[in-house]
Amino acid sequence: MQETEIHDLSDDADYAASQQQGSASMMRCESGKRSSSNEPGGAEVVYMKDNVTIHPTQFASERISGRLKLIKQSSSLFMTWIPYKGKITNARLSEKDMNLYTIRAVPFADVRSIRRHTPAFGWQYIIVVLSSGLAFPPLYFYNGGVREFLATVKQHVVLLRSAEHANVFLVNDFQNPLQQTLSSLELPRAASLSIVPSTPVSGGESASQENGEGTDVDVLDGSPSIRQFYRRERQKVHDPARDISMQVLEKFSLVTKFAREATSHLFWGTPTNDFSLFERGSSNLSAIDSSQKPRDDVLGIPVPVLPDPLELDKLSLAWGKPRQPPLGLEEWATFLDSEGRVVDSKALRKRIFYGGVEHKLRKEVWEILLGYQSYESTYAEKEYQSILLSHLLGCVNGASLVPFEGNGVWRRGGACVDFVVSFTNLCAGISISPEQEKRFTKFRERKGLIEKDVVRTDRSISFYGGDGNANLSFLHNVLLTYSFYNFDLGYCQGMSDLLSPILFVMEDESESFWCFVALMERLGPNFNRDQNGMHSQLFALSKLVELLDAPLHNYFKQKDCLNYFICFRWILLQFKRELEYDQTMQLWEVLWTHHLSEHLHLYVCVALLKRYRGKIIGEQMEFDTLLKFINELSGHIDIDVTLRDAEALCLCAGENGSACIPPGTPPSLPREDGFLFNSELDDTVL
Amino acid sequence: MASRRRMLLKVIILGDSGVGKTSLMNQYVNRKFSNQYKATIGADFLTKEVQFDDRLFTLQIWDTAGQERFQSLGVAFYRGADCCVLVHDVNVMKSFDNLNNWREEFLIQASPSDPENFPFVVLGNKVDVDGGNSRVVSEKKAKAWCASKGNIPYFETSAKEGFNVDAAFECIARNALKNEPEEEIYLPETIDVASGGRPQRSTGCEC
Repeated sequence: MQETEIHDLSDDADYAASQQQGSASMMRCESGKRSSSNEPGGAEVVYMKDNVTIHPTQFASERISGRLKLIKQSSSLFMTWIPYKGKITNARLSEKDMNLYTIRAVPFADVRSIRRHTPAFGWQYIIVVLSSGLAFPPLYFYNGGVREFLATVKQHVVLLRSAEHANVFLVNDFQNPLQQTLSSLELPRAASLSIVPSTPVSGGESASQENGEGTDVDVLDGSPSIRQFYRRERQKVHDPARDISMQVLEKFSLVTKFAREATSHLFWGTPTNDFSLFERGSSNLSAIDSSQKPRDDVLGIPVPVLPDPLELDKLSLAWGKPRQPPLGLEEWATFLDSEGRVVDSKALRKRIFYGGVEHKLRKEVWEILLGYQSYESTYAEKEYQSILLSHLLGCVNGASLVPFEGNGVWRRGGACVDFVVSFTNLCAGISISPEQEKRFTKFRERKGLIEKDVVRTDRSISFYGGDGNANLSFLHNVLLTYSFYNFDLGYCQGMSDLLSPILFVMEDESESFWCFVALMERLGPNFNRDQNGMHSQLFALSKLVELLDAPLHNYFKQKDCLNYFICFRWILLQFKRELEYDQTMQLWEVLWTHHLSEHLHLYVCVALLKRYRGKIIGEQMEFDTLLKFINELSGHIDIDVTLRDAEALCLCAGENGSACIPPGTPPSLPREDGFLFNSELDDTVL
Repeated sequence: MASRRRMLLKVIILGDSGVGKTSLMNQYVNRKFSNQYKATIGADFLTKEVQFDDRLFTLQIWDTAGQERFQSLGVAFYRGADCCVLVHDVNVMKSFDNLNNWREEFLIQASPSDPENFPFVVLGNKVDVDGGNSRVVSEKKAKAWCASKGNIPYFETSAKEGFNVDAAFECIARNALKNEPEEEIYLPETIDVASGGRPQRSTGCEC
């Protein structure tokens, strides 16, 4: 065992596989390694942990395991995380995907903070945030060791913990030991982890943490302060009030997951006996899925050699196909068979990609594009689906205490009734303890948040204008219902912007709700509490700009703008605040076709940045002026030209472009066995 | 030493969603109030030229999203701030209770060189609502909290009516100026402990 530890075997597939199998042998291996192993060039490995894994999507098969190391070289500490090679269990996970996430020797001088998450259920993980604002994806410690990791970091750099935020550790790489002392004197309340054991610690940690339960209390008995620290942690975990509220939340979460599962069957397939009507719809969905793979499309077209970015700029990119007039009634009819099924969904999506649809057709077409209705449903099936879901919504609302008219009762079919019954029982069965009441305060706060945003959503549009406008109540109802339907995600600012055009088009509460549900199936992760969806988006954007416009990338790098926060609003709201209302609807239906790429919105971002690159670089814009400039583009964007540019860039980037986008980046649809968000229950509900 | 450049003072406005951050900023800079501001997504800022003692300054006022979930963005937006304005709605107790969270979060994310003495200003907004009848956070309570945090200056404002907004921002600007070292505009990214020991405390504004 000792023999192998001298060498870095992370590249060795067999070794990696053996690591996966026996955690006991690995522990021995690790404890020996920590003190002795040396990297070439005077670097010393001070911490190493195997089976530290990232979850690019919610699917177990797409997780990437690797080895996390802390390396000390002269007086600096570096972190690396290298995925295991030869461990690809899923064909969709290419080596490129894996390389995308590799963390290569990040100096702690560049690290701003480490957020520790030690949920009561599931694996512990950390999120490392850099000074630039970029964050690495959560690193899950399958074998435990987060505390040990932090303790090791603490030995080499100054790590301060806020009294308020027990799980946030601030990192500062002071060179001078005197300054270290000074800083801890100046920030007395921040330093909770005051003493760190001088000898490396190890023990049964890995084994005890296999399923993530925090039973590692006795692992470190090195120093009194550490023991104290753990005791405090343990008290937190075993706080009975906290346990109760966790249970309540857990139940809500289960029920809402149940609801989502039920409707996922309706939307995306996985036929059950109860929903035989939709079986055909579901098989269609998989057909759509395979035809939607952007790479196939791109491969079918001769991909031009990536020209010099400056050249591309001169061409104004205007070699995307000219836009066509929107799809009208007559032409729409040609896509349908006599019973109302779409005959060639691919052709339809392509047609919409190049011209959008006329407004009077939007309701019908959007329902299909969003997945609320299936391409292959007949008129009759669509009508039935609509009635069915409208009733279900009534039940959801009845149960969730939302004031809502027309509480329908629907008593057929398995999953949905189960859901309604569970939800109703849950609501009826709760006896309110003070702690639970506190949770309901949270619900009231959530409601308050929605109310505040509804009254400031698109009030300049006549549809939402004026006092006592009924459409505002619809907006409010749908958002509040959704916050119960997807309890973990809840309500997040920006959702009202996404719902507004949908309600405008649907003019119906129930259909708006289910279309919004369908949209959020795709975009939901952008609103996650840990912001991982948005971090993927911005990460992908930075890679795409690097690919498609290296000089602009270098400029942003030089100006410390690679976090692309300047484009945050573009992506979160899908350009809703940048375009006129009508243009937003045009853009969205084009994005929803997923023709060429699911991630066309990112190419739209690149297209806009490229269009203004001359001005940006010429005026030497900094982060603040750049943000201002980007925000002020609102209302000045020519959507047709931008879409042509985006199409051109997407074709130009081809497979290399797809490789820039981490798997699971919204709106990538879940495509395997599950359909649920993987959002963890965090400490707070809001 | 005394730079001829126009100095930039960076101010961050924080507080719960809907307390009136955007409205305060617009009232101060543009003398306008609208019921139709949209919820801020990401961040934005406005600038205003101010003059103190014959010197011109550019006040850069940053407005950020109020929902807790977006706080991870703060790292980029708070960097180099000279003063932080904490806003609550005097009609919503929770928005006042959260001031402490906002303050702590700011100190974590902005990592000012001297967190103990970093200038904050607290504004209790929307005092106009319902003629003050729906008010739940008293002036006394707000001032007590401010006092407990090192005498943070406190102002009651109405962005809608423009009440006290100018006075508040003048105090904000003066405090930002106190924080600004003479010779440099942007603080270095790492915490420079050596230059962080300035003895001043923010003892409230005499203005």
